[in-house]
Amino acid sequence: MISPIKIWRRQKEIRVILGKKGKVLAWTKIYAAGADFKKYAPYPVVLVKLENKEKVYGQLVDFQDQDLKIGKKVVSVLRKVRAASDEGVIAYGIKFKPL
Amino acid sequence: MTQLIGYYTTQFGELWDKSLFDLVEEAITGVLKQTELENKQINAVFFGNMLAGVLENNLHSPSKIAEILKINIPIFRSEAACASGGAAFNLAKSYLDVNSNKNVLVIGAEKMTDYSPEETITALSAASSGEEQEAGLTFPGLYAMMANFYLEKYHYTEKNLAYVSVKNHYHGSLNDKAHFRKKISIEEVLKSAYVAYPLKVLDSSPISDGASAVVLTNKSDVIKKRKNSVSILASEIITDTISLKERKQIDEILATKIAADIAFRKAKINRGDIDVAEVHDCFSIAEILAMEDLGFWKKGSGGKRIKELSTMYGNDGDLIVNTSGGLKAAGHPVGATGIKQIGEIFLQLSRQAEKRQVKNAKYGLAHNVGGSGGTAVVTILGI
Repeated sequence: MISPIKIWRRQKEIRVILGKKGKVLAWTKIYAAGADFKKYAPYPVVLVKLENKEKVYGQLVDFQDQDLKIGKKVVSVLRKVRAASDEGVIAYGIKFKPL
Repeated sequence: MTQLIGYYTTQFGELWDKSLFDLVEEAITGVLKQTELENKQINAVFFGNMLAGVLENNLHSPSKIAEILKINIPIFRSEAACASGGAAFNLAKSYLDVNSNKNVLVIGAEKMTDYSPEETITALSAASSGEEQEAGLTFPGLYAMMANFYLEKYHYTEKNLAYVSVKNHYHGSLNDKAHFRKKISIEEVLKSAYVAYPLKVLDSSPISDGASAVVLTNKSDVIKKRKNSVSILASEIITDTISLKERKQIDEILATKIAADIAFRKAKINRGDIDVAEVHDCFSIAEILAMEDLGFWKKGSGGKRIKELSTMYGNDGDLIVNTSGGLKAAGHPVGATGIKQIGEIFLQLSRQAEKRQVKNAKYGLAHNVGGSGGTAVVTILGI
């Protein structure tokens, strides 16, 4: 379950990986999603290796179909990742934009 | 040596008139009847289940099982996502390694179809990392990433994957306990809708209900009375990172490789000695990777090897794989799967596999994976 405290704790980790460039290591497009993400489906998810070698997952946004390929250069951006929790706190997290 | 002396499984499928513990009770009653044991002759129970806590707010299952059995003995629940059943079996075997003269019951069960697919998909994703959940990565999504990577690396297509499902559905048509008993074609697999690109509905195991149980014993008087007993030569469990991204290779399950190497060493047999195997085909790609990681096929050759269909029943191959129908066609009631796999090998080695009986099978292997590869259990049985 998502709580406002978990969202707050996660923000501290997210801020340090914002605006980082990297390359797509693997990707998929999700058609059958879980309850929190159903209204966004289908959506692509990429696994990115950042320039500092750290690996990060995120959905790909502002993309064309030809951007969905291994090796594509991307940059991390801050976006809403789920619908607001019952307490009204919106969860922001990492997504990626093609470069 | 510890012997497996009996196996019972409920039907797998959408069993709307049965609760989780209706299924557990049926499996217990079935296996005790088959082994001619009474409740009071059971000395310990190991129960594999993943989702009852998440989906049904239903924990403390050992004491629920005590209520069914009406006895006061040690009962434990194990949870390792889709390897919960395999983990329960591994613990039961370890328990017997250090406790002589005991009978142990191992049950695996899952009740999944009371909820919408989205609710069940969300519950299953509890077995992935927080970051994977935050990115909206489902389990099909994680295996889809592995598949996409593998297909591109070795220049295969979605059609190579489809052969796994065609074979396992054929096997499912020979197993009257299977969720799906319908044969399918390559074209039907390729035409089915995407779940997570490049994996489609017919590349994926279904959401199923079911319960399976086995009895293990190291009591010589009990073993002497049973004519269908099979030896447990090895059972090894290995864990790895919960996140796919933290593993060295995306298209390999290292936990499987390590567990298999240790299991073969302990069983003192070679890969070529295995006649039948049940491998964890939660998705088509998973069977191909399993065959490579278990050491049956060379890395990268799986996409080509599966097209030969040498592992299909009736094709005279040296190794027949997933005669139960696998997770794909027999169904995948998560906690039950690991026990059903071992039970299928028991049926094969004790010549009770009926229409899908592999001739002269002497050694069999069961391979159960949790999550995207965070847990792997490899069990080797022999006669």
